[in-house]
Amino acid sequence: MSELPVLPPVLRARLASDFHVVRPLRSPVARAMAVAPFAALALVAAPLWFELRVDAPRLGWLQSWGWSLVQAVAGVAMVAAALREAVPGREWGRGALVPWLALPLLLVIVVTSTTFEASPIFVGRAWMWIGVMCFAGSLATALPGAALAAVLAARAWPTRPGLSGLIGGLGAGLMADAGWRLFCHFSEPAHVLGTHLVAVVVAGLCGAVLSHGLCRGFHAS
Amino acid sequence: MSDEMSAPGTDDQRLRALMASYQAGCFEAFDELYGLVAPRVRRYLSSQIRDASRAEDVLQETFLQLHRARRSYDPAYPLMPWVMAIARHCWLMELRRARRRPVADEDVAAHEPPVRGEAEGFADAADLDHALGILPAAQRQALLAHHQWGLSFEEIGERLGIAEAAAKLRSSRGVRRLREILSRR
Repeated sequence: MSELPVLPPVLRARLASDFHVVRPLRSPVARAMAVAPFAALALVAAPLWFELRVDAPRLGWLQSWGWSLVQAVAGVAMVAAALREAVPGREWGRGALVPWLALPLLLVIVVTSTTFEASPIFVGRAWMWIGVMCFAGSLATALPGAALAAVLAARAWPTRPGLSGLIGGLGAGLMADAGWRLFCHFSEPAHVLGTHLVAVVVAGLCGAVLSHGLCRGFHAS
Repeated sequence: MSDEMSAPGTDDQRLRALMASYQAGCFEAFDELYGLVAPRVRRYLSSQIRDASRAEDVLQETFLQLHRARRSYDPAYPLMPWVMAIARHCWLMELRRARRRPVADEDVAAHEPPVRGEAEGFADAADLDHALGILPAAQRQALLAHHQWGLSFEEIGERLGIAEAAAKLRSSRGVRRLREILSRR
C-alpha cells in the first residue's frame, strides 16, 4: 500500500497558528430565520409609521396583508436560498438559479396586476416625487436586510459571493416592498414596477457588491 | 471532477468523521484528512494547471482555505463536493491572479539582449584565431583586409602589389579553407 502524503510543515504551522474548535454552521433555512425579525419589522413599519394604504378596505385582507405576507415569506425563502448558495459544494445549478432570480420579478408583477385590478389608483402629476419617495423608502428599508444576508452568506465562505449576495439582497428587497406596498396605495403598474421593483433590484445589486467585498476580505485574511 | 467526488460509502463516512473531528478540535484529524484528500485534489488541479509547481501551490492554498472555511462544512453532507468546490475556487482565483501578473517567460526570450549574439561570437573567437593561423599567409592577408578591415579588392591588390582578381581569389580561397577548418572542429 502506498504511503499517504504528509501535511507540509509550513502549512501545518499556519493551520496550527489559528486552530480552535468551531461549531458547524446550521442549515441555510435555520440561519435564514435570523432575517425573520427584519421581515416582520419591515412588514409593519411603513403602515404603522405612516398609515395603512387608503384603499385597504376595498382590497380586503387577502389582497393587502395577504400578498404582503406572501412577499415577506418569499423574501425569507430567498435569503435561505442565498445562504445555501453560499455553502461550497451546495451551489445552485443554472436550472434552479433562474427561478430564484425570477421569483421577485414575477411576484411583484402578479401582486401589482391583481392589486391594480381590484383597486386602480394612478399617480398623476406628482409621479416623479412620489416615485423618488417610494424608491428611496423601499431601498432604505431593504438595505439593512441585504447587509444582514450578505454577512450571513460571507460566513459560509461562498465560492460565488456576488451571486449569493444578489439572491439575499433581492430577498431583502422583497421583504421591504412587502411593507412599503401596505403604505403606498398607488397601484398603477408603471409606478410599482418603475420604483418599487427597481428598488428590489437595486437592493439585490447592493447585496451582491457587499457580499463580494466582505468575502474578498474574509478569503484574503 | 465527478470521479473525485464519488468516494465509496465507507471512505466518505471516514472523511466526514475526520472533518467533524477537526471541527471539534482534533488537529491530528487533519493530518489523516490531508493524506486521504490531497491526492484527489492534486489530481484535479493537475488536470487544470500544467505547471506542477503552480498546481502544488494551489493545493496548499486549497487546504489553507479548507481550514478557514471549516465551519461551513455540514457533516450531514459528503465531504468531497465541499472540498472540490473550494479547490475549484482556489484554482479560479489563481487564474485571475495569473492574468493580472505580467508574463515574463516568453517576453524574456523574445527580448534577448543583442549582446548575446556578440558573446556567442566571442566564444568562437579562439577557434577562429586558431583557424586563421592555419591558413596560408597570402590567403589570410587578403581575407582579413577585405572582411575585417573592409578594403575593396582593388585596394588590397594595390597594397599587396597583385591584381584585383588575384586578391579576390586569395580571399575567397581563404574563406573556403577557413570554413573547412572550422567545420572539422
